Amino acid sequence: MRHRSLSRRLVKAALVALLLAFTLFPAYWMISSSFDAQASSGGQSLLPQEFTLANYQYVLTEGGFGTFLRNSAVVAFFTVTISGIVALLAAVAVARFRFKFRTGILIMVLTVQMVPLEALVIPLFVQVRDLQLLNSLVGLVIVYLAFSLPFAIWMLRGFVAAVPVELEEAAYIDGASWGRMFRSVLLPLVAPGLVATSVFSFIVAWNEFIFAMTLLGGAAENYTVAIGLKQFFGVHANDWGPVMAASTIITIPVMVFFVLVQGKLSNGLVAGAVKG
Amino acid sequence: MTVGLKQPPVDEGRKPQPSAGGRPPKRRRLLTMAKARPWLLLAPALILLAGLLLWPLARVFIFSLQDYGLRQIVSGKTKFIGLDNYAEVFGDSSLWTVVLPNTIGFAIVAVASTVIFGTLVALLMASLSPLWRTVVGSAVMVAWAMPAVTGTYVWIWIFDADQGLVNATLKGLGLMDESFNWFTNPVTFYGIVALNIVHHGFPFVAITVLAGLLGVPKEMLEAAEMDGAGPIRRFFQITYPTIKPVFSVVVILSTIWDFKVFAQIYLMPGGSGSNREVLNLGVWSYVESFGQNRYGFGAAIAVLLTVLLLIITAIYVRTLFKEEKV
Repeated sequence: MRHRSLSRRLVKAALVALLLAFTLFPAYWMISSSFDAQASSGGQSLLPQEFTLANYQYVLTEGGFGTFLRNSAVVAFFTVTISGIVALLAAVAVARFRFKFRTGILIMVLTVQMVPLEALVIPLFVQVRDLQLLNSLVGLVIVYLAFSLPFAIWMLRGFVAAVPVELEEAAYIDGASWGRMFRSVLLPLVAPGLVATSVFSFIVAWNEFIFAMTLLGGAAENYTVAIGLKQFFGVHANDWGPVMAASTIITIPVMVFFVLVQGKLSNGLVAGAVKG
Repeated sequence: MTVGLKQPPVDEGRKPQPSAGGRPPKRRRLLTMAKARPWLLLAPALILLAGLLLWPLARVFIFSLQDYGLRQIVSGKTKFIGLDNYAEVFGDSSLWTVVLPNTIGFAIVAVASTVIFGTLVALLMASLSPLWRTVVGSAVMVAWAMPAVTGTYVWIWIFDADQGLVNATLKGLGLMDESFNWFTNPVTFYGIVALNIVHHGFPFVAITVLAGLLGVPKEMLEAAEMDGAGPIRRFFQITYPTIKPVFSVVVILSTIWDFKVFAQIYLMPGGSGSNREVLNLGVWSYVESFGQNRYGFGAAIAVLLTVLLLIITAIYVRTLFKEEKV
């Protein structure tokens, strides 16, 4: 019996090791190539041999990646802020009010998430062009709002509905207006939900590729990080060191946000607010 | 807190209004205000969704009925040609020999691999101690967080024809004499795409299925074990039926994602239209529109993609609802 459990544990350990290797290898390879002086000349082996920061230096100075980072940060900031505000207002409406067509609107928000946005590149390109916003970050922010809004409304609706109505009523009894109640009661309590949706919108805006490529087309100074990476190809053929350095820089903020959100979504902020 | 106040979500009309004071005109104004409030709150979202999703959705269909090229975009004139674009799409032999097989075949392989692998990872994680579950969970998160664009570049780099790790290793082991270009053959090309998609997509499956697994009653599994059911039998007889809705959701979402892969193909060498053997519906539509300026034809392909996705969504949603009723 003991023998069997030992061999079982060994098999499990081997499986875990294999899984960890497969899961982490691309990230490891990206980071190790970015620090390896041999990556661009083709002499790289599994373990980095010659440590260097030259790839990062090149990417951030000559490569002009700083501009792409700034552009992406600007686009992500406005996408997150605007979609957060708009989605919160809509979520309050569908979670807290009973009105005609309420169910219809909920169904629409749900189905609209199924629309393949890739299929909307052509009409959105024409629309942004008609608005004279091609090659500008404003056009990109407008399009990203369409990406993040349906999911943000759906998610925030759950967070708003989870706030006990009694807390709102208590505020009214204390003489608060609706606006005051919204600011002082509802807003602080849905803050974790707002953080979660903001992280989602950030990741969407930070990673998006096809619309950035289409709408920013010729304006290389307005490129976001996802399409800015392409700039490192062709200049020096197969210059993988800088590409991997830039990829690492892009990936870090996303990983940080993933870690931040993990497990913090349901930390029971309102759990103690209402007692049976 | 009094029990009497415990009502379902507040209706604005019934909300306590200390300031209303019983004066009829003001009260009426407050009432209409209360009726308008949800719509005022919804207005910005509805305007944005209508302008950025619903209208473009209608428009992609309108474009697909037109000869819509660069001239039409600039002049704003329309030239309707009925269903000619669709006739051309369906009459194109590459749709049947290349594009649809690539799109549907790839989706089937990718969804099956992602869901099976993700489920196996979830089962492994469920059997680990809390410490190791956290370790594996964090590693899975790293794979999940990797942006699609950078992940794709890393896989291209690994399989790079000149200096890639795979070619170098195979040559070093003496298994290969000269470098092999993995990107020119459609099968190896899509093999790399599948590796990329599975690596990026299995974390969602694993984490979601794990959450479901942890909710399966332990007593049922133990009872089955006592009755002599092996692990495979236990999974298919107890675990799977209990968390079937979780699987439905995971399969629907993976199918929708894998049907419309774009960046992972477009960024690969030859994937942006120069190698027509590797086109899928999304890339074909994009290449025809923005490469050839044939926006009407591209729109027809986009409509085809949308309709296919809608059919899949409808089938799955129906099975989902059917299961819940039973």
